[in-house]
Amino acid sequence: MAHATSLQYEPVAEIGGGAYGTVYKARDIESGQFVALKSVRVQTDQNGLPLSTVREVALLRRLEQFDHPNVVRLMDVCATQRSDQETKVTLVFEHVDQDLKTYLERAPTAGLSPGHIKDLMRQLLCGLAFLHSNRVIHRDLKPENILVTSKGQVKLADFGLARIYSCHMALTPVVVTLWYRPPEVLLQSSYATPVDMWSTGCIFAEMFRRKPLFRGESEVDQLGKIFEVIGLAPEEEWPTDVTLSRKNFPPVLPQPITDFVPEINEQGAKLLQEMLTFDPFKRISALNALEHPYFKEEEKLTQTKS
Amino acid sequence: MTMSLEDELTTAAVNGNSAEVEDLLRRGAQVNGLNRFGRTALQVMMMGSTPVARLLLTHGANPNVADSSTGLTPLHDAARTGFLDTVRLLVEFNANPQAVDNANCRPVDLARKYGNEDVVNFLDSLENSQ
Ligand SMILES: Nc1ncnc2c1ncn2[C@@H]1O[C@H](COP(=O)(O)OP(=O)(O)OP(=O)(O)O)[C@@H](O)[C@H]1O
Ligand SMILES: [Mg+2]
Repeated sequence: MAHATSLQYEPVAEIGGGAYGTVYKARDIESGQFVALKSVRVQTDQNGLPLSTVREVALLRRLEQFDHPNVVRLMDVCATQRSDQETKVTLVFEHVDQDLKTYLERAPTAGLSPGHIKDLMRQLLCGLAFLHSNRVIHRDLKPENILVTSKGQVKLADFGLARIYSCHMALTPVVVTLWYRPPEVLLQSSYATPVDMWSTGCIFAEMFRRKPLFRGESEVDQLGKIFEVIGLAPEEEWPTDVTLSRKNFPPVLPQPITDFVPEINEQGAKLLQEMLTFDPFKRISALNALEHPYFKEEEKLTQTKS
Repeated sequence: MTMSLEDELTTAAVNGNSAEVEDLLRRGAQVNGLNRFGRTALQVMMMGSTPVARLLLTHGANPNVADSSTGLTPLHDAARTGFLDTVRLLVEFNANPQAVDNANCRPVDLARKYGNEDVVNFLDSLENSQ
């Protein structure tokens, strides 16, 4: 982890700039392929990189050994010292030239077939089950971070970095989407693997609807929109350690999920409800979701390519 | 740091954000303008985003710009990544299927190397119909 990125990887465009650094699309001059470069600025002292960063990077590299088909490859890690106090750590990922957002926009007007949605969901859950079994939480699952190759292979991107970022970034306010955030994150209560299962539920619904399920404009508005569908959570499920009181929300009742996702079948609706469960402890896990009857009934799989 | 309109255009294209691409073109971004890395929007766009490709091409994007370091054209990249719709569109807008990169490879060679059969078939069919 000590050589320069500048020679082999040539940036061609800026993809995004977060609070922590910048993401570039770059070309690997040797292979001709595109890569995604993500750099994080980390504070250093006389001992070099902080132990937590070294650990996180080591974890990502260990994950890489499994060569999981549903997460993007981590191809390289480079560190460049910028000053006595700052080092730039650059992660080089395989680049995939399509995300789920684009994929859904490109789908025929009739939408994706049920079999096709099932295939995407199975792959997404496989990737998540893999990350979760290695104690990696994605935390920022959304259609832009779910990549789909031209052969229809789903690959999760942008995982496992949240902790590196949150430890070291000089916090600058950035606009992040709230639409895929679970109640416990909106309430600032807890963050664990169920976080990703809520986001997966939102994305599952979006595959049918082709527009987001909950489009809130603030944390409170987002919670309100969630309750309009799943009903106001019971008092005993409301986290005790939060500032936002349950009394701020009208006592709405749960609505049938099929009112919002009309094309979903019966087992799909059941699975979706298990994902969109308020209490993170009662929410279905990725592994259990893969065992759900929804995945047992086979649907005719129509074309899954580009 | 402020970004030029062309930097913004390439960023919109690389994200497959067609609404933003359209807006920037309307605001006067040069479709063949270079970003600060010396690349055009068509060269860096999300290859799977056929809507972005269409917008850029109908606004006069040059499909035959070659990458300064590797000689790869957008058609090479679309063929390697396997997005048939984008490949077709580029060819429709006169991208040269016979262009060779610095390693002397044509788009069809890359499509074959990366196992993109449908792209290989399409590019082969062009040769046979000539
Ligand atoms: N390996 C990759 N291949 C292709 N595109 C990628 C890859 N990794 C990330 N991206 C794209 O880069 C975009 C920008 O990433 P970035 O982390 O800057 O922002 P974000 O994920 O949208 O927001 P956040 O700041 O919440 O992480 C992502 O939305 C994703 O579409
Ligand atoms: Mg991100």
